[in-house]
Amino acid sequence: MPIEVVLLFAWMLVIAFLAFIACTFEDLESDIGSQSNPNSQVQLAAQVGQINRFFNKAISGEPLSNAMYCVTAGTIAWILLMQLEPLVPGEEWKAAVLAIPIGVLGAVAINMIFSTTSHCGRTAAMKRFEQPIYLDVLYGHLIPIGAHAFMTTFCITWIAYIQSNIGTLAGNPALDHPFALPLLCFVWGITVGSIGSSTGDVHYGTEREFQDRPFGEGKRVVYHGKITRYASCGVRTQKDIAGFCAKFGGPCTGMTFGLIILFTNWTTLVGMQLGGFLPNLPAFTAIGDMAAIWTIVLGLLIVAALAVGNLIFVKWVRKKCGPFVGV
Amino acid sequence: MTVTPAVVEEEAPTKKGLSFKFPPEETEMGIIAGIIGAVIVIFTGLPAVIKGVGLILVLLWGMDSVRKTSKYGLGTGVPSIGVLSTGYGVVGALMGLAVAEYGRVGQLYPAVLLGVIVMGVIGLVSGAIANSEKFIAMKIPRLERGMMELGMAGTLAILLECSIVTGSLNFNAVVNQVMNTGIIALMFIFNCFAMLHPYNACLGADERRERTRMCGVEISGLVCVLLGFVQLALGTSPLWDSVSLIVFGAIIFAVFFWKFIKACMDECYETVGTGMIKTIE
Amino acid sequence: MEPVILLIVGYVVIGGLLACFAAHLLPVGGAPAAMGTATGIATGTVQIMLGAAMTGLFTAASVDTFTDSLLLVTLSGAVGATVMICVVMFMANIIYGFGAGIVPVSGRVDVDPITKEPQAPYKTPQCDGHGVPIVVFVSGSLGGFIGGFGGALMYYTLLNYANFSAGTAAIGAISIFVANAILAAYNIRGTIEGFHDPKFKRLPYALVASFAVSLLCGIVVSLTAILGGTL
Repeated sequence: MPIEVVLLFAWMLVIAFLAFIACTFEDLESDIGSQSNPNSQVQLAAQVGQINRFFNKAISGEPLSNAMYCVTAGTIAWILLMQLEPLVPGEEWKAAVLAIPIGVLGAVAINMIFSTTSHCGRTAAMKRFEQPIYLDVLYGHLIPIGAHAFMTTFCITWIAYIQSNIGTLAGNPALDHPFALPLLCFVWGITVGSIGSSTGDVHYGTEREFQDRPFGEGKRVVYHGKITRYASCGVRTQKDIAGFCAKFGGPCTGMTFGLIILFTNWTTLVGMQLGGFLPNLPAFTAIGDMAAIWTIVLGLLIVAALAVGNLIFVKWVRKKCGPFVGV
Repeated sequence: MTVTPAVVEEEAPTKKGLSFKFPPEETEMGIIAGIIGAVIVIFTGLPAVIKGVGLILVLLWGMDSVRKTSKYGLGTGVPSIGVLSTGYGVVGALMGLAVAEYGRVGQLYPAVLLGVIVMGVIGLVSGAIANSEKFIAMKIPRLERGMMELGMAGTLAILLECSIVTGSLNFNAVVNQVMNTGIIALMFIFNCFAMLHPYNACLGADERRERTRMCGVEISGLVCVLLGFVQLALGTSPLWDSVSLIVFGAIIFAVFFWKFIKACMDECYETVGTGMIKTIE
Repeated sequence: MEPVILLIVGYVVIGGLLACFAAHLLPVGGAPAAMGTATGIATGTVQIMLGAAMTGLFTAASVDTFTDSLLLVTLSGAVGATVMICVVMFMANIIYGFGAGIVPVSGRVDVDPITKEPQAPYKTPQCDGHGVPIVVFVSGSLGGFIGGFGGALMYYTLLNYANFSAGTAAIGAISIFVANAILAAYNIRGTIEGFHDPKFKRLPYALVASFAVSLLCGIVVSLTAILGGTL
């Protein structure tokens, strides 16, 4: 196998690894700020009289907010890359090593600005429910939110950078993805957010917010808003929620996004290899069509495997847990 | 995904000096922002700061429309309507840019407003269908007008941003410098946020329009700063133009961020350094 | 009128209708699903639809660099979106099972239409189902496939028939897709389980809205292509 092809597969694995880290931290970041789904309970808590010390980070849904951070980071990085790349001809990656962290820092600053406005705005709009603004909650959560968001945005921006330059990095510029860096950041920002919101929030929402309710049942409507407000020691804030979710919910969410990135890139690359498209790239010929067909077939096989896996898992968990026995 | 509470009458502002009352009413805001925005879009030779002022007005108009449509509860959260507005805006801006060359006089591009009008029509149609009893039946008062305004405000905002970044409204220039570089993603997402975030962030029983609008202006200032940097990097206009836009945006952002946070802390139930929570028996 | 204009308008309308249809097929639970109170994926309709369509768009754009067949590009976009949605639903079930001890169960039907297993005894009282049971998984995979197909179809049309650049085509396709998905979300109002849900019968209303908006958007896009000189 020629070295270019091996390098392509190697970069693809790097991307999948970065995706795993990105989505793990994305889930933890949204848990620290109680963004997205669990936010509805924090919002409701004060209205049913449960005054709490939770951070109310209501920056729309996670997909849009993550797209915003990633696009900001991507744009600032792109601006810097335009200035820095001519300084290191032939070794453009050296410019990226400097440009991407700076861009991500800008994105983190924007994240913290939006977090502040949403926490203050939402709490001020709950005046009649007697929910005060605790300044230590406001200041104390901004740094953990920023730190986790830095990891997410950093990994996503690197994914976008590698994908928009994968051909150049592997030795064949024709394989670069047609989308520009900020647009790829947008695409993966939306995806990472929608996964972090749909998968990771379950573990925080059902388990941590209602930890004093029975394990193994859905949270009944009468419980809604009555979140657990006390930690094992003292009043609960969201800083100890990250520690809880980092054990199970975060890694699971990370694995979801990692698998998605791995599968979508892997099917394309293996399809190219099986169709005979690599390393000569005869585009728009029968070979190219063959590569596309292989991509589709492999994707369908993965879908079938997932469907069967889900069938087995659901049957198993139904047998293991059995019918509902509580009252 | 939060439940939008029922409509609550606005309370009179309690503290003076922190109210932000320009222009006081929603219809006046729409007319003023629409006309000023349209004029600024046509004159592409204006300095970027003036376009920035137009952008702030237009985004504020969009934010007002989001507020008045979504305070009745959309069923899917506030963000969806802001995204809808920007989605329409991108399509309308493409249309406007394509017809811009026709009827051009020097640096004037009056034909570009065709895109704004077309998007207003599409917004009206979708609003009428969404509100009609026969179809989706959302039963939101004045949704037709709200969606029309959202389509127009979204288009004007994207056009103004394109005009700031490229310095003209030439279709090929915009495609090369905005679409192919991916800057359109920045415009898309920040348009969304400037329209949806203020109301989303201030949502609640004691939401107040003036306070929400401060947040809107603050985000628009942030957008100006970012666009200024993009303009600087693309080198489409003289240095002073970009720098003045960045300085202007930064000042707007700082002033209104401070005002907004101050207003929140003054108007909330209580601002305390730290404290225990109320015990429930 | 040139036939290619008809093609552009037609494909944009089809893509928009498919986006609207797919949004009704996806099992969306919203915030209640994150509390284990409702069946489906724990996020909003627009959010998960966008996430799936983006993955599909990425795959379609990759495949489009080496083939010019409409069917292959759109199918690969569809498969990309399906892979995304399947992984999400599978992992969500794992978290429901191991993290919260909740059995996936449908709240809208008493017997699963596919596996014929009883649902009601497994359900917590006062809840509307939990997790992603089999019938919902099938419905969601179909929704991902159709949505990805619609998104990729619009991207391909704008790229190869209207001759836009890759960036313009992507953002144009996203914009039209978003508008249709949001109209569908307004029609759904909150949560839906899939094709077996009573709310699914509201689908024709959303399709009318989606048809009108997509038709107008299609005309606007083809006018853009003609007047902008790319056609």
